[in-house]
Amino acid sequence: MRIFVIMKHTLLILLMAVMGAAAGCSKQDPSTAFYTRLHSANKLVFASMSISKMATIDDLDFEDAKGIRQKTDALLSSLKIGKRKAAYSYDTYLRAYIDLSELTPDDVKIDDAAKTVTVTLPAVKTEFAGRDLGLREDHYRVTGLRSDINAQERAQIKERMNTHLKAEVEGDDTFRAVLTEQARNKARSYFENLLSDSGYVPVIKFRG
Amino acid sequence: MKSTLIKIIFIIVAVATVGLLAYIFVSPEVDGASMHEATINNVRTMARLQSMEIYDEVPVKGSIGSRHLVGRLRVRGNVGFDIDKLNADLSADTVRLYLPAEVIDVYESTDPGSYIVFDTWNDALFGKSNFTTAEENSIKAKVKANWIKRLYANGTVARARAEATGNLQSMLSLTLGKPVVVSDSTPRGARYKEIIKPS
Repeated sequence: MRIFVIMKHTLLILLMAVMGAAAGCSKQDPSTAFYTRLHSANKLVFASMSISKMATIDDLDFEDAKGIRQKTDALLSSLKIGKRKAAYSYDTYLRAYIDLSELTPDDVKIDDAAKTVTVTLPAVKTEFAGRDLGLREDHYRVTGLRSDINAQERAQIKERMNTHLKAEVEGDDTFRAVLTEQARNKARSYFENLLSDSGYVPVIKFRG
Repeated sequence: MKSTLIKIIFIIVAVATVGLLAYIFVSPEVDGASMHEATINNVRTMARLQSMEIYDEVPVKGSIGSRHLVGRLRVRGNVGFDIDKLNADLSADTVRLYLPAEVIDVYESTDPGSYIVFDTWNDALFGKSNFTTAEENSIKAKVKANWIKRLYANGTVARARAEATGNLQSMLSLTLGKPVVVSDSTPRGARYKEIIKPS
């Protein structure tokens, strides 16, 4: 009877050990719990633009409010004791590059008679590189019984600023046009310098 | 009957007043954010060879005193090399040069929902859980520094340098029409020893 009890306890311990080991195997390694993607790139970046975006926080004026809900909110905000005003800004980066994987031997042509070397570069492309991690607090004034602007609210405001900025950039060609022009000029001067000692006159062109 | 009616009206008015006051003082603030037009700060020109792009989601965890913050951040980073002024004799029959120091850019992704704050709290029972903008920025700065350290430690920078050596060699050979040999004197990274301090 005693041996049977010992065997039962031993089996239970073994079972718990196996379950623990299985849980450990299936438990996600914290370092890979968040998704990571690496990929090789072969880009030559010639220009980078920083774009500043600002948002301000203030109580809505009754005159500016639209609709019953906004009017109600504006009225009730006016009854609150204190002011709540802030201004935040951050920078977003746009870059212009050529994809070197699109450069082929056919894109470099030497003309011995004219003593020229013609390099046809891939078209300049632009993309969002990213935005600042931090936020600049350009102004902050919360008084009376008003609640502080917290981290969650700042994150939501930054999200709205991001959406607004991307729509502005997509809707106005000026941003990309200015950047592309600067990148093309830089690319041209870079390759002209590179080929200046070649004994040939460099001619730099772009596809597209 | 009349006194009962008065009592009922009084109770209704009292409850309505308490409700209104509670709404005024306790209700969440209305989003009064106004967006301003985006403006171009500056445009920099460069010649930077980018050999690695990294997309990552990292936890944001920070504590200041008894206050704690937890969130999630989508990072977009890249490893590049400034090749504007190459220290090499380009007129030689075989061009030899060394890969320059890496430049690591770390940004917050512009994809929707790239930064979310899940929770902030204070261990003290009636303590404020709020973080100022400066405090939150300092937590994010530490996240960025740790992320860069991880790139060196897990060999991502080494891999980026190896890719860049090959890419630069190909690009220059093609353009110059002669053999180009690109060597790397710091294969683990020019800043490896500075970032990964021996324990």
